[in-house]
Amino acid sequence: MPDALAQLADLLGPRLVTTEADRRLHGQNETWYPETLPSAVAYPETTEEVSAILKICHAKSLPVTAYGAASSLEGQHLALNGGLCLDMARMNRLLSVTPEDLLCVVQPGITRKRLNEELRATGLFFSVDPGADASLGGMAATRASGTTAVRYGTIRENILGLEVVLADGTVIRTGSHARKSATGYDLTHLMIGSEGTLGIITEMTVRLHGQPEAVAAATCRFGSVEEAVNCVILTIQSGIPMARIELLDQFMVRGFNLYSKSALPEVPHLFLEFHGSSAAVAEQMASFGEIAEEFGVSGWQTATQAEERNALWAMRHNAHYASAALGAGAGGGHVWPTDTCVPISRLAEAVTWAQEKTVEMGLTATIVGHVGDGNFHVGLSVDPEDKAVMARAESFAHALGEKALSLGGTVSGEHGIGIGKQHFMADEHGTAVATMRAIKTALDPTNILNPGKLLPPA
Amino acid sequence: MPLAKALDDLQAFLGERLSTAKPDLDAHGLSESYFAPAPPDAVAWPETTEEVSRILQICARHGVPVTGYGAGTSLEAQAQALQGGVTVDFARMNRVLTLRPADMDVTVQPGVTREALNEELRATGLFFPVDPGANATIGGMAMTRASGTTTVRYGTMRDNVMGFEAVLADGRVIRTGSRARKTAAGYDLTALLVGSEGTLALVTEITLRLHGIPESISAGICAFPDMASAVNAVMDTIQMGIPLARIEFVCRETARAFNAYAGSNMAALPHLLVEFHGSPESVAQDAARFAEIVADHGGSEFQWSSNTEDRTALWAMRHNGYYAILASRPGARAIVTDICVPISQLARAVEETQADIAASGIPGPILGHVGDGNFHAILLIDPENTDDLDRAKALSTGMAERALALGGTCTGEHGVGIGKKAFMTAEHGEAWSIMGDLKIALDPGNILNPGKLVPGN
Repeated sequence: MPDALAQLADLLGPRLVTTEADRRLHGQNETWYPETLPSAVAYPETTEEVSAILKICHAKSLPVTAYGAASSLEGQHLALNGGLCLDMARMNRLLSVTPEDLLCVVQPGITRKRLNEELRATGLFFSVDPGADASLGGMAATRASGTTAVRYGTIRENILGLEVVLADGTVIRTGSHARKSATGYDLTHLMIGSEGTLGIITEMTVRLHGQPEAVAAATCRFGSVEEAVNCVILTIQSGIPMARIELLDQFMVRGFNLYSKSALPEVPHLFLEFHGSSAAVAEQMASFGEIAEEFGVSGWQTATQAEERNALWAMRHNAHYASAALGAGAGGGHVWPTDTCVPISRLAEAVTWAQEKTVEMGLTATIVGHVGDGNFHVGLSVDPEDKAVMARAESFAHALGEKALSLGGTVSGEHGIGIGKQHFMADEHGTAVATMRAIKTALDPTNILNPGKLLPPA
Repeated sequence: MPLAKALDDLQAFLGERLSTAKPDLDAHGLSESYFAPAPPDAVAWPETTEEVSRILQICARHGVPVTGYGAGTSLEAQAQALQGGVTVDFARMNRVLTLRPADMDVTVQPGVTREALNEELRATGLFFPVDPGANATIGGMAMTRASGTTTVRYGTMRDNVMGFEAVLADGRVIRTGSRARKTAAGYDLTALLVGSEGTLALVTEITLRLHGIPESISAGICAFPDMASAVNAVMDTIQMGIPLARIEFVCRETARAFNAYAGSNMAALPHLLVEFHGSPESVAQDAARFAEIVADHGGSEFQWSSNTEDRTALWAMRHNGYYAILASRPGARAIVTDICVPISQLARAVEETQADIAASGIPGPILGHVGDGNFHAILLIDPENTDDLDRAKALSTGMAERALALGGTCTGEHGVGIGKKAFMTAEHGEAWSIMGDLKIALDPGNILNPGKLVPGN
């Protein structure tokens, strides 16, 4: 192993770092997993360097874990078995934009906000918005989505092709710049969501969308979570093309009031956004309003100015920290995130079950969700030192996952498996886990790519 | 010998649903395009997943090839039994299993055709949008990653399949995907199976996304002085975000063929056939905005209608395009190409293709799903004339190479089968051998549709 690091140091010079400070920086995570230090951190600048790094690591069986913005919530970027952390920060360029094809080519280290800043003059935007300012490579590798997926799809629908370095250093290209293709196995989508266990993404062809002519955001309140969710269900079933439709339960709103100093009434809310022509936005808002009336909506507030909208979504995007803030008062401070996603018709059942269960189990918890997709997060306040609370959180998270599966859903709508959801893999995928394992073995026979993630121990 | 033993074992539980009669074998060995017949040694008609699993267990044990068969409408010989063996015909697994209108999804068996499915959905106000023209089976469409006229709005099969039940080469049954609208849990086996052409597994259940039948539909047609103007109008329309449900290009030769075949009265000019879905107000607004773009590009007045008969007639004409073109050269057979390029390269790709076709002396009308950058040249060859076939193959190769040079793909929707294998290295490089590695990982005995898609088998 020192031998491998020496070779890597020869290759990368000062861009291979082994200082404790840097390793420690790369060993942190947004959730409650313990600090996990890699043996070294590499900062490649080109695909060729990534390929050369992987050749060395492959020859010496040194584990390699890719690192983007470290905003993942299931520890995907943590080097569990030590080895090399591949920080893609220096591969963060927008390589080309082709406005007439509504696409661009980027390196994986670029963050979504930076990309949208660079795109501003084109009238186009990259739609996927997981809240955190994640890197695009990380978003692809975890199959991220977020608030806008209900309208524009997840990252799965927004990537046309990839350049990927495989475990042995082989560089492949998947997909094309055409909008569709029927040529062979869909390696692009095999790589999306593979959490760095099948290859390292070094370039991505990304779909863009035209900035809507008009955008309006709104907030409204409901008497219960169930009424709010039933309003969402009917909205989706009616085919109103919502750009965003987010649920926040009363505890989440309390968290916002604490963290973002807002003064929202502490009752369930929906945060909404409408995109289209001015006429279409007005029509969508009216149609939504009619449905919402049926479920006793109140406190309707609209925001058409960009600043007001930005403030609203900034508050929403800080939900994770607001959940932590809510817990801090109760001795928590860390958040155990859940990420279930269910068929839309079962959403009310799932959300009310979750809320009742957290109360019954004495857990401090918030509920926030991309409910247009059937996806919601229960943020459990935990103190990793408090064994009893950790045990209850684990027990709740497990029960919630099983509940989602029983309703025809999934344990993870957008965070991925990483470390925290491996125990669900057999329950969700059954015999297909062996198929996934066969694929992993075929592409990474010595298991150097992000070992210990996604697939449960054999 | 292994074959005979396998057929005995299959006969034992399939009874009359295993046939080795020559007419059955011959019927399953044909292709819609120019490929030579390749009949299997037997045809099986399973009725359940368990039967498919038993068939695969037996065939795996004896090393007998297995090829899935739907409606036989594929254009790259995907359903032909190149190495003999057993063809699994899904005609008896053609039921709509569970319809869930509240979630806008449905689970079907692979043998149901898209028209039969939409017939069953009629009362629900929902429909399944993917429309390749032919009345293909859902299983076949999933396996070839089919798309068609409505893809510009509703996506391809990849976007509309939520999950599978699939039987692996050794008979194990797996389930992929989820009925949730999105999932980040594990490798995307659903996407891996879509487009795998029966080389990784046989699918026995498919869960599909459905869409609400739009309140209003308007469709219309307009002519352009030249092809580039038509394509530029399409590009502008897409960039302005006008939500097209269908946008089809036909060249002047195709327009002439329509006139002769369907008695239409189109000018001998390139045309766009267009459809909008939405509310009565929104389709009227979309049509008006589109008409302005057409006028900007020198097109004729955009004539549109929300009348069902008018629309049906328009799309029937389009769907019969292949036959209309075939009829324009009596006795001819067709080689159909399928390139797809980034939309910014479409005008160039069509122009250069038309020049090559004109130079070849072979008639080759063009029509296409231009909203996706996908178009087909129907190369009409005299089956008695080997020179024709050679020239058509050279044209087809030239088109594929051009598509790749322009950042596109050699096949937008027909798949690889055997006809496009020659372009796979050029299109995918090392990634093609990775596909081969995946094939070996999932089907080490190479019994699933051998000879198709992946290298060297």
